[in-house]
Amino acid sequence: MNVMASQIALPPPRLAGYSEELARAEADIAKLESQLQRHPRDLELQVRLAYRLFHCASLAGTMDQFHAVEAAILEAIADFGPKEDLCLLKANLDFRFHRLAEVRRDLEMSPLLAGRFEGRVLLADLDFQEGRYEAARLGLEALIKEDPTWDNLARLAHWMSKLGDAADADKLYQEAEDDLTAKQMRSYAWLELQRGVLALHHGNYEDAWLHYRRADEAYPGHWHTDEHIAELLAAEGRFDEAESLFKRVIARAPKPELQQALGELYIFTGRIGEAQPWLDRALAAYVDSVRHGGVHYFHHLADFYADARVQPTEAVKWARKDVDLRSNFSTQAAMAWALYRNGELTGAMEFIRLALSSGVRDAGIFSTAAAVFEATGKSAEGRSYAEAALQINPRHGNFHMHH
Amino acid sequence: MADHNDPNAVNHIFSDIDYSPADLYDLFGWPTAEGKNVVFALTFASAPSAGVLDVDLLYRLLLTSHPRVAWPDAKEISVESVLGYFEAVKEKYLGELKTAEIRVTVQTASSVLIKFLGFSCGNFSTEVDVNKAVSISTPDGQTIQAFVGGRDDAFFNDLTGFFRSINYAPQFYHVPHTMTEARELPIPKTLLELDGNDLFNYRPDMPEWGFTQPDGTTPKLDLPPGPWTWSGDRFKKDADGNFRFVYDGRDCRAGQNCNAIVLELPHSFITPATGENRLVNAWGESWVRKAAHKVESIPDDPSWVSHPWSVFREKGLDDELRKYKLVDTDGQPFADAALSEREDDRQLGANNFWLGPHFITRLAHLGWGFGPSISALGLKTSFDHNNSPVSVYKTYDSVFTAFPRVARTLFQGLNMPDDSWNPKGLNIPLRRPFEIFIPNVCAVDMDTTGTWPFGRRLEDQVATRFLAMFLDMTAELNGKKYHIDLLGDQALWDSAPIIPKTPPNPLKNDKEFLDQFPYLAEPWPEKW
Repeated sequence: MNVMASQIALPPPRLAGYSEELARAEADIAKLESQLQRHPRDLELQVRLAYRLFHCASLAGTMDQFHAVEAAILEAIADFGPKEDLCLLKANLDFRFHRLAEVRRDLEMSPLLAGRFEGRVLLADLDFQEGRYEAARLGLEALIKEDPTWDNLARLAHWMSKLGDAADADKLYQEAEDDLTAKQMRSYAWLELQRGVLALHHGNYEDAWLHYRRADEAYPGHWHTDEHIAELLAAEGRFDEAESLFKRVIARAPKPELQQALGELYIFTGRIGEAQPWLDRALAAYVDSVRHGGVHYFHHLADFYADARVQPTEAVKWARKDVDLRSNFSTQAAMAWALYRNGELTGAMEFIRLALSSGVRDAGIFSTAAAVFEATGKSAEGRSYAEAALQINPRHGNFHMHH
Repeated sequence: MADHNDPNAVNHIFSDIDYSPADLYDLFGWPTAEGKNVVFALTFASAPSAGVLDVDLLYRLLLTSHPRVAWPDAKEISVESVLGYFEAVKEKYLGELKTAEIRVTVQTASSVLIKFLGFSCGNFSTEVDVNKAVSISTPDGQTIQAFVGGRDDAFFNDLTGFFRSINYAPQFYHVPHTMTEARELPIPKTLLELDGNDLFNYRPDMPEWGFTQPDGTTPKLDLPPGPWTWSGDRFKKDADGNFRFVYDGRDCRAGQNCNAIVLELPHSFITPATGENRLVNAWGESWVRKAAHKVESIPDDPSWVSHPWSVFREKGLDDELRKYKLVDTDGQPFADAALSEREDDRQLGANNFWLGPHFITRLAHLGWGFGPSISALGLKTSFDHNNSPVSVYKTYDSVFTAFPRVARTLFQGLNMPDDSWNPKGLNIPLRRPFEIFIPNVCAVDMDTTGTWPFGRRLEDQVATRFLAMFLDMTAELNGKKYHIDLLGDQALWDSAPIIPKTPPNPLKNDKEFLDQFPYLAEPWPEKW
């Protein structure tokens, strides 16, 4: 009484995080499935279940669960027709797996969806993925003017991080964070990871640590955060710690891109033999995905054959498939690198010029440009891009993952 | 549903939005102890459950006490005078008026910190357990009663009937959140079913359509493809010549709980000049902790550059409030659900003066729906609908075009059923709709019983009283002037050509209120 009792300090409890959210999502799914037993024709329950399944799959990150989501969406669409929210969910799922033509079809399935706020967000994403950067930026800015949602601020921040100013990108990420409440800690942690990646890509490991730690504190226990921390440990040369953490992450989320990263870490540290089982596993998963019609591992296959297990013709094959699917500075640079590795320097030059014409400012792409220009006798330009790469990230030569 | 399910950000009618403790339900306020004390009860969604509070929430009750003064031009019925009134309110609330605040932050799921800020005796705070009525001594030696915790939801209302009257599709159909145009469907709003209205008329084969069931589900239909139109020209009548009411009078909140902050305060604690300041205005707000402040170590300065309204609000915020985000406000029943259409960016509390013009156009839109319904029942309406034989779908962009239609509705004094509201027999003017809703506050007149619109007592059937605004208060029935409880009179419906023969909303709560603090009834066992 008569004092401001809020000044009494209580020790901060550990926040609920990944495992609690996963348990809650699974409980929700069980409840919805039980309700659906009683009301099998309830569209709203079906939709809610499909969204919860997507949520759960996104948390776990496993392909099997995403297949279950897709099956649930297709079943609901078959039962109830192309309802907007089902088509929107399918479009988001297809976008996640780089099925860009499908995304367009999803948006067209429900006549008004492409004109909705949520539909226009996906169209801006498509613009970015398909290399229409200015259209993407204008689209995002218009959406933010209408409603400055955190996710669209983050999209614009990503645009800025690649094609604009890193400081502006970080400010936008910060602004996005300010829109989030304590009920959205996973999203907050994700934004912190993006800020950490931004710092990492500029060689600022101290800031990267700051953001990654915040992400872990805000949303404890997520393998996605640990994946980033493992990469940072490796970049710092703390290879044993990185190896150990990568293994723990893989045990929880056996994603092939993580297995490839661990294999590449072994290669980076000269432990070629130890790399092979991990690369074998990653490759098997990539091939299996492609065999089932998947396209989202094309980029990883191109990287895999260009650097991890060098087979340049295979690298070119997969890079070309990816660039045919979504021609942007990232796929163009990957194509240039694959062609360079395969000795096709004219083609490499063509693609790296294409990538650079986007205005992208990325140490990795500049580094590829430096190699291609140098190999084609344009040493001055090559040196210039090598310097530019180092200016952006003085530690570019350290270990990094293929994202 | 005084303010249940709004704003849209916490509207769990939509399938992708859960119950939120930030969803404010109602603000009740009335004098006690012969006008020496005033009670305020702010109710909100009982999440995580009744009696258990969410530690990320902060609730504010803002209070100001001032004299009962008539506004200049109050008798002049013109668009200029009403706009002038809105401007004066703005000046008052942004200018001279000082508000004090009672702030409740949740310490743990079972304890809260109550801070009293800006009162004349100085700032102080106290920590209290939830679900217990406690006495708090103030620095100037007065006593405040406080209760924070689970209660029976004190609101009693035919929620589904109201939604049917305004064609609110998400209650009856699966409406994706993306389909903003499919919330209130563009057909006439109405109190009587429209002949051939296949979108909302009662379906005998589906009697529970749109009613939330004990397991938490709501039977809904698949929204038919548009255009959603109605091309009829009359109200529906059965073979006996009876209209069909869109309400059936059931209590859609029966058996359901809320969490509540209930305070009984000496008027002299709020203002030293109790004799002069006979009105106590209050509104409630819910805030959710920002993510950045959930983690103690976050040092970044937030950027406000692209949120002008936020900037406006931020100016008045203290360090604690800057760590939270405003989600919902509550002052008058129906100010949000019926008049502001639940828009997230209209959560302004008392500062809703800028919504004044929208209030007029929205009221006119509602009037074209409810006015002809009232006329068809043989009652007189305050809304000028040009003797339309049936409800009309009409929207307005211009306040000047809307105003002539709605002028009488806005300016008429709302007759009370008898003199019991004014126990001292003082010369207190009847309240008028434009004064009631702008500003969006619960305005308790300390010389009255505090029954709506002179406050809001728990037992007030405000949903039915809201509809009474569209009655012509100069008209008489059986020798008695129309009044705000007329539509709650069973005898009226018994003699009306209508089925079901019921007042639109239940006449009393499903649980008896208590005759002592905290007044709201004990909570029900939790169902889901």
